[in-house]
Amino acid sequence: MANIKLDIFRFDEAVDTVPHRDVVAVDIPETTTVLDALEVAKSEVDGSISFRRSCRSAICGSCSMNINGVTGLACKTPCNSVMDESGTIKIDPMPNFQPMRDLVVHMDPFWDKYTRLKPYLQPADKDSDHQTERRVSPDDMKKLVDVANCVMCATCYALCPVVSVDPSFAGPASIAYAYRFIEDVRDSKKEERLAQINEDYLWLCAHCYACSYCPKHVDPHDRIIDVKRATVNSRVMIKERGPQHALVVNRTIKKTGMLAETEVIQGTIGRFNIKGLLAVAPLGLRMLSKGKMPPPFLKPIPKVDEVKTIYDTLEVPVT
Amino acid sequence: MIKHDVVVIGGGLAGMRAAVEAAERGADVAIVSKMHPVRSHSGAAQGGINAALGNRDEDTPEAHAFDTAKGSDYLGDQDCIEAMCSDAPREIIWLEHRGCIFSRLPDGRIAQRPFGGAGSPRTCYSADVTGLVILHTLWEQLERFNVKVYEEYFCTALCVEDGIGTGVVAYNMRNGELELINAKATIFATGGCGRMYAKTTNGYASTADGLGIAFRAGIPIMDMEFVQFHPTSLKENGVLLSEAARGEGAYLLNSNGERFMFKYAPNKGELASRDVVSRAEWTEILEGRGVDGCVLLDLRHLGREKILERLPQIRELALDATGKDAIDDPIPILPGMHYTMGGIETDIDGATRIPGVYAAGECAAPSVHGANRLGGNSLLETIVFGARSARHACDYIKKVGNIKPSERTLQAEKDRLNKWLSKDTGTRAPVARAAMQNVMSENVFIFRNEGQLTKAVDQLLDIRRRFDEETYVMDKSKTFNTDLVNTMETDFLIDAAMCVANGALARKESRGAQARTDYPERDDDNWMVHTLAWRQEGQNPKLDYSRKVTITKWQPQVRSY
Repeated sequence: MANIKLDIFRFDEAVDTVPHRDVVAVDIPETTTVLDALEVAKSEVDGSISFRRSCRSAICGSCSMNINGVTGLACKTPCNSVMDESGTIKIDPMPNFQPMRDLVVHMDPFWDKYTRLKPYLQPADKDSDHQTERRVSPDDMKKLVDVANCVMCATCYALCPVVSVDPSFAGPASIAYAYRFIEDVRDSKKEERLAQINEDYLWLCAHCYACSYCPKHVDPHDRIIDVKRATVNSRVMIKERGPQHALVVNRTIKKTGMLAETEVIQGTIGRFNIKGLLAVAPLGLRMLSKGKMPPPFLKPIPKVDEVKTIYDTLEVPVT
Repeated sequence: MIKHDVVVIGGGLAGMRAAVEAAERGADVAIVSKMHPVRSHSGAAQGGINAALGNRDEDTPEAHAFDTAKGSDYLGDQDCIEAMCSDAPREIIWLEHRGCIFSRLPDGRIAQRPFGGAGSPRTCYSADVTGLVILHTLWEQLERFNVKVYEEYFCTALCVEDGIGTGVVAYNMRNGELELINAKATIFATGGCGRMYAKTTNGYASTADGLGIAFRAGIPIMDMEFVQFHPTSLKENGVLLSEAARGEGAYLLNSNGERFMFKYAPNKGELASRDVVSRAEWTEILEGRGVDGCVLLDLRHLGREKILERLPQIRELALDATGKDAIDDPIPILPGMHYTMGGIETDIDGATRIPGVYAAGECAAPSVHGANRLGGNSLLETIVFGARSARHACDYIKKVGNIKPSERTLQAEKDRLNKWLSKDTGTRAPVARAAMQNVMSENVFIFRNEGQLTKAVDQLLDIRRRFDEETYVMDKSKTFNTDLVNTMETDFLIDAAMCVANGALARKESRGAQARTDYPERDDDNWMVHTLAWRQEGQNPKLDYSRKVTITKWQPQVRSY
């Protein structure tokens, strides 16, 4: 048995203007999960401590919260893995969400991101046309099962720095869910889905890898890469600004061994897109006045052929 | 007042399947759920869902129905069983066409695995996350049909006017207001009640809500004494390790390293039905051949690759709780409370005795499971009877004119909650809950006898009376008051526990999951009847045995595996 002190964020949106903290001590085995520790605190000490929970086996996704500054599922976090020498554990609601009551947050913006995706199978044929299952190879299904492990706990969304500065960003979880349909051989709306997810700022992802920490090993970051790759490989989507940007970055690096920023701007916006180019002109003028304007043409680095070899070996698309 | 044609209480598999069926039929339907639908405990179902697709071996719905009837120890109503098993293949195809991610055979058809008590490998699955993928598929269909979900609304009471259902009262957890919801048809799909026991595979939210509500509205609760103890739950926290482990070939070992199941089930071994396996395990433990109060589930010979491909979730759950990796070590397990075969009494279409009121899924008892449920039949029951109850409800609502719930029920609910909220002293619900859990775990477990059951009945009645008199709620907030919600849940759980203990004491025979050491034989002459429990305020439920078991094809036989 250990004396564990839960240092909990307390807030009630109906009456409080600012949050406060309470420290609640409970005597429990130190291998107890943080969720069960909260449950003991609520049952035995203070009934007003509020948090969401259900399955306590990492499958319902209810209990994601911030534990000592790290967001994750409370039911999958033993106390002895997070408590300090005094036995204290600091517990806060998930970041990137508006708190409602204590550790309970408003989840609606998160669910809205899914709704925008039209998250349901849209096959080419009608449901009623079939008397048996559609045939799908084990490998094609296996790809989807790995993503299907997502329990929508929003841990990745809470961890995402892009969401924190631009709440319109789709966020990792819903992009991973989009991948589940984009890669489903039974679905007929791949291009429409890619267009939608591009509109939802797919290319804002900064590849910081924060969402690589996933309690269910779905690894949303890798799924974001997959969706970007599918966009670049799509004949329809390739004309859009996001994939064009990715391609021109690769093209200039392959050509010169460096990032040719002037060419990247032109390539992303479009050389003949006068309106688009004029829109960035003030930025160009400011850069010019501060002496930060990159040169219009770059001389390739020595041994640029080795860079080309890397690109060719990896078969990275550049056009 | 909120108003819909059909209101479904609960957003798990049965509830969502019902809502989607009603939406496809053009009804104005809404879901009222205490959680977001994807949080439902249906998602924790691991192993699979039964249907006689015959993708691996020859199979027929009739063979499935026979296995189910035998598994029920002949207490299941065979007309309901046949309906479920013949609907099953069509329902699986329905799910597949809506995108459900089933594991596949090399030729692209849905994969199937062997499960306990089944004569053929007929359990369709998705690795060991079958419940989760079906849950997501149904949630996707809610999005497709734009079904309104009253999320984090806790349903507290059923409204009945002139003998017909008119809607419900629900507590909006976001603002603390009780609201009247008008519905021509109400479908309860509130899941299980595992939290009557201290150790259970069920989550914190499995609390007999719909069952308690129906009971109070005068609907009988059926066959509650039949509680399934799952053979493989973790000692540390009661978390479930799927029957799929044994379906894929795992062994059960005692302290001598012996595969003891063949002593109890010479033909089926580890794949006997769950009641048989759990009793065998408990017997081994009681007779001193346990390992620290457990037996061992051994997956090692399956090999790393198969474990990672087909059972990744249970490997991780065991690793998290015990520190043991199933690839290298046997996992200590023991039987744990898992499922109630009984529930709100319904007919073959999910209809209760009150017109306009339905129930489906674990909270209901059309009696397909009788005295013992086969693995893989619970997911099937949710889907089949969710759809059937919605179909019946959609026909029913066409015949009903404008009906309205009266403010009387709303006022009664306000009074019930205010009584707890206005007090600052007394006893909190967790105290009553713990007392009930102890009574149930100690006296209404795998093996039962008159002495223990009498004690349980008496103690539960005492807990009921004290709860009614002494309870207060500590949290007074209007925002997400889970202290109040937990109190309402405990109120319902005590009702459910009383039905279990009273039914078990009165049934003087051993059948399926009810094992009476003082009446060790099945008694077909006297007990081929269902237990109906009717609520009596502040007293033990009144028991009635007027509903006889329906037999269509299979007379009771000696049951061996």
